[in-house]
Amino acid sequence: MLSALSTFLPPLLLLLLWTPLTPTAHGHQPDEQFHEELVVRPLAGDHVNTYFQFTTRWHYGDRNNLFHTQLTPRVIAEILQTYDVKELHISLTQGLWRYESWGYPIVDATGGAELWAWFSASNLTNDAVNKQWMQLANVFSGVLCSSLNFVDNTNSIAPRHIFRPQFMHHAGENGKQFVRYATLPREIVCTENLTPWKKLLPCGSASGLATLLNSGFVHNTKYHSLGVKVRTLCDHDDDNNCIVELTQTANLVYDLKLLEQSNTDFSLRRLFGMGLNGYCELATSSRIYAQRSEQGERFQLVPPPAFNVSSIRGGHRVSYGVYDIQQQFEAAAPDATRLFNIAWIGEKSAGGGRRLAVSALNLPPLYAHRYLLGNGQKRGRIATEIRNTHYEDLPVVLLELVPWYVHAYLHTLRIRNKAQQRREYATDVNDELPFKLLHYAPGKQRELPTHLEIGFVLPAKSSAMITIEVDYLLLKWLEYPPDANHGHYIGAAVISTQLPMGRNYSALPPEAHLFKDSFNASRPSYTLTLRTEALIVSLPTPDFSMPYNVICLACTVVALAFGPIHSVATKLMIVERQTTMPRNLLRKLIHKLKSRWGSKKEEATSVQETATDEKQQQQHEEKEAEQQESVICNEQKQANM
Amino acid sequence: MGLLSDPSLSTHNKLVDNLAKHVRKLCLALYTAGVVWFLCLAMPEFNHGTYLSENALSPGLVYPEIRIEANRLAVQLLEELQRERKEHQSTTPHAWIAAKFQEFGLETHTHNYTLRYPFGDGKEFHGKNIYGILRAPRIGSTEGIVFSAPYRVPSSVHVDITPSVPLLLAFADFARRKNYWAKDLIFLVTEQEQLGMQAWLEAYHDGDKESDSSDAYLRAGNLPARAGSLQAALNIEVQDLEVDYIDVKIEGLNGKLPNLDMFNLVQRIMAREGVVSGYKHTPRKKRRSHQSNYEQNLRQMLAMLSSQASGVPNGNHGLFHRYRIDALTITASKRVTNANVKSNPTSAAVPLLKAIEGIARSLNNLLERFHQSFFFYVIVNNDRYISIGDYMPALIALVACTFIKAYLTWSTLDVTVAATQSDPKSAGGKSTLAADTMKLSLPYGSVLIYLTFVLLIGYCGNVLPLQEYFSKLPLSAAPLTASILVGLNAIGFVLPFVVTLPPGGLELLHIGLLLIYGCAMIVIGLLNFSLGFFVAVISMPLIIALNTKASDKSMRNLTCVWTLLLNPLVIIYIIVLIMSFYQFPELTALQLLPRAASAAMDAATFALIDSVIYGNWLYFVVCTIFLPLWIISWTLVVGKRRDVEITKTKLKTN
Repeated sequence: MLSALSTFLPPLLLLLLWTPLTPTAHGHQPDEQFHEELVVRPLAGDHVNTYFQFTTRWHYGDRNNLFHTQLTPRVIAEILQTYDVKELHISLTQGLWRYESWGYPIVDATGGAELWAWFSASNLTNDAVNKQWMQLANVFSGVLCSSLNFVDNTNSIAPRHIFRPQFMHHAGENGKQFVRYATLPREIVCTENLTPWKKLLPCGSASGLATLLNSGFVHNTKYHSLGVKVRTLCDHDDDNNCIVELTQTANLVYDLKLLEQSNTDFSLRRLFGMGLNGYCELATSSRIYAQRSEQGERFQLVPPPAFNVSSIRGGHRVSYGVYDIQQQFEAAAPDATRLFNIAWIGEKSAGGGRRLAVSALNLPPLYAHRYLLGNGQKRGRIATEIRNTHYEDLPVVLLELVPWYVHAYLHTLRIRNKAQQRREYATDVNDELPFKLLHYAPGKQRELPTHLEIGFVLPAKSSAMITIEVDYLLLKWLEYPPDANHGHYIGAAVISTQLPMGRNYSALPPEAHLFKDSFNASRPSYTLTLRTEALIVSLPTPDFSMPYNVICLACTVVALAFGPIHSVATKLMIVERQTTMPRNLLRKLIHKLKSRWGSKKEEATSVQETATDEKQQQQHEEKEAEQQESVICNEQKQANM
Repeated sequence: MGLLSDPSLSTHNKLVDNLAKHVRKLCLALYTAGVVWFLCLAMPEFNHGTYLSENALSPGLVYPEIRIEANRLAVQLLEELQRERKEHQSTTPHAWIAAKFQEFGLETHTHNYTLRYPFGDGKEFHGKNIYGILRAPRIGSTEGIVFSAPYRVPSSVHVDITPSVPLLLAFADFARRKNYWAKDLIFLVTEQEQLGMQAWLEAYHDGDKESDSSDAYLRAGNLPARAGSLQAALNIEVQDLEVDYIDVKIEGLNGKLPNLDMFNLVQRIMAREGVVSGYKHTPRKKRRSHQSNYEQNLRQMLAMLSSQASGVPNGNHGLFHRYRIDALTITASKRVTNANVKSNPTSAAVPLLKAIEGIARSLNNLLERFHQSFFFYVIVNNDRYISIGDYMPALIALVACTFIKAYLTWSTLDVTVAATQSDPKSAGGKSTLAADTMKLSLPYGSVLIYLTFVLLIGYCGNVLPLQEYFSKLPLSAAPLTASILVGLNAIGFVLPFVVTLPPGGLELLHIGLLLIYGCAMIVIGLLNFSLGFFVAVISMPLIIALNTKASDKSMRNLTCVWTLLLNPLVIIYIIVLIMSFYQFPELTALQLLPRAASAAMDAATFALIDSVIYGNWLYFVVCTIFLPLWIISWTLVVGKRRDVEITKTKLKTN
């Protein structure tokens, strides 16, 4: 079953090479195309999923052509020249996709930043890949204004089984394929990432569907995920016959209850703050697909779509209303300034009860949760629970990337199983699910993360709980982040399976590059990838108030010392004989009396002083003389200067 | 042994001589200093004003947005719930609560748990908690805050707190419409008082525990959904939507407290919303007594310490502390003062709702777990506290004299032993020479065996009542536990009369007692100051008075009586007696005594059950530490007399 994961991809990839290269009727270069697509899918529980996909496909042919870019951003062409990267996935995500109520996303991503890439070239070594990987991350750190520069070998792994390449390289290269994977679960995604992401588009945010992505509205969602995917497809025989495909995705989930309105109707203007002002003139196609089946059934579309498409995929029928924006705007009067808007208006008769019933029935075939068990700051257990609601056994591959500051113990790894109707997991060791494959690379403090990949067959209508015990490490005090008591993150687990049917499944087939290619794309099985929740562990944290105080104190001392030292070093010193006489008459008298009385007293005491005191006095005087000398030296120096 | 048997530390040492002369005075002085220091803490000069240490909380930074509609919803839900309650006299209307959560758009789940009662041959009780999770838009379910409300069935003996659930629901409905949540909010309705909460927390943190292992009394099971690591929790107990005042409860399991910042936060926000609130708040009438500021502070302190000492949480919040989740309970009382002045029922709970919103938003701001400010403190007044650095010296001063006395006893050991052991004629010259050999030849072995046996008695008190062998007996829980405890105490009582320690053994035992007692008190005081302090205050006089040397008879009799009074069982009985005297003033003394006895038996049983289900260590401490210590001191008080008698008879025969 697992072998299916690896075998079915390459032959399919061969099919697709020539299909999209037919020239189009549009004016710009026929071997470079840009498509913009928007998919709107109403979800259960008053949520709406909007998925933007911008695809640039460039048949650049010869490698030297990469110097002359048009629609493809220059940075993409440059990395293809500089590095041996063949396929690259970056996602920047805020929030968590809720599989149980929302079904499966078109593109899956984990919270924070996620990055994986395939490298391939002749004579490529592992070390070279490590180096290129870090440089690549650094490049995109700049391009997307994110903290991808924190990706290095201490948090990257080379997954063995879970990711399959989606690129093609020509036979002559014959090189090994290397993959690297890293996540930064702590990364926070905001406007500063959206703006540079939009700048990669040919039209930017000036026109087309990208105008809808206003940060004020995009970041008001329950889930938003920006994605960049680059892959190259080269002819098997000809090195100079290559395609580069750049897919930019923005996957958003709106919660209609947060939009502060009484009913659950919505429109483009409600979701994005404005209607559509047109289409990107550089685009070959720009379309909006509104899902009309499942949760979409209860809405009426205003204006009605140009035409409806229905797709049967894996025995599951989905229908979409399609709006061709180019036709829409060309059909309208050329000087019309009205913004294009689509409204989803719910049927008033359908009660809320029916909606609930639908959502309860539609549990996806496989979903997973992850949580941390145990208390205290010394040890804990990472538990991943995977549920199979399908009536067939499913092959499951699980990837765990445990950071180095958490020690995982392989001997404590257990996969317990329970049938769906049972409340508790079987405790007998014999009832545990057997591994079909196991790859474990132990972590190394401050150098390598723990990499664990398990494959097993999850029986029908049952769930599996995978637990592994971990110890928390006491870090060095400089290794704590500024908000040390917030806790440290453990990235999400990645789970992959082969679904035999297409219910809830809407991802693009691996060889396709447009959303419309997923229509009627029935296959023997569908590769599904899920991500679980990230975890926060509170490592043993020292009380940082003490070092903080020490730093403050040290800074104060330095600041106090700085003033005098600075003035001594820069100012000219002139020793002046001080006239101690006060100006006031009364004070003069007092001063005289005082000095006289004081001198008398000194005389009286000096008689009693011993020889040692005299010595001290002598020393003191000597010192004073020295000081005076040094002052004079200073003066001389200053004068010389 | 070189250091301890150093000849310079013998009786000829000046220090030891002086110490021996004044030890009792010194001990009394230290004891008085400790108590006086403690009493001084109530004075404003000795305690500090509270302040917010965690800047992220920034209470009251935002204007409350919750409006009168929420109150209207709460009133409407309360009416519905009251109707439901008529049908569910002794069960929780789970379906109604779950339906409401679902209606408000929360992810709703139920949690089942089973309690296997330790006594009564494995009787099983089942319970069910309902919780709804508001998935925060700003986070991927890595952190969460809990808002809980206990549900009490109409047949419950406790105060009716039905309005808490509608209030929680109304707040949940409001919170669902907001997009600023950066931590998942869990709205939890528990049943069966603290049991439900304990089961939920255990399931949350130990969900994979194997359930059919026989030693687990509470089978918590697993939760279907979680919300990451819990940062804080707020428990709401509301008696009526028309709130008179709010009592903030903080004492948790084993005397643990929530972070002082959390308490201050609640106080600030309540003050901002104009809700009368405070720690150990009482109705206004009572507070209008003519007490001085000092007296009020002292009462407040003692009230806090006495409720903390038992280690029993005074609300559902107390169970969170074990998992390092800061939590407290806000208890809103029904309007008693000015009951005839009815406020507008449609807006009565708005200030409270606003306060809950304010607390929630402040907690939502938290970037890190509560870690600043104090976890160990005593509250003197609503806005004044004593930190651990200020109150520990009192306990240290109380206990310090045990170590002084232990040192003194050790360094004068040779003299006393020689005096009792050998002939008085030859004692003078030889004693100092033989000091070294004497110390080596002391009966360490038999004293160790005695100590072990005494500790074993304490251990039995922990283990025996839960043995299956006993649980099969046709006895109910309370008499069983009580009879086992009385039996163990009786063994301890008889022990010194049966076992005679060899000469010098009593002195060694005395040193052992002093050291164990001193360490135990300081450790207990660090973990639960109240318990350590109270025990030290009542038991230190005995420790000071204890003297293995012969002293006058009246003094000895006094210590004997004092020791008997300090027996753990006697103390429990006395405490229960006093409490029942105040609770039932109409009873005569003859009625009161047996009633208190049965109540004390119940108290012991409940403490045992608390220790096995919730992890309260009061029972454990009493059995394993206090009981053995008492047996040792009883041995010292009684056994000495026999020792002296033996020497006297020896003298006579000579």
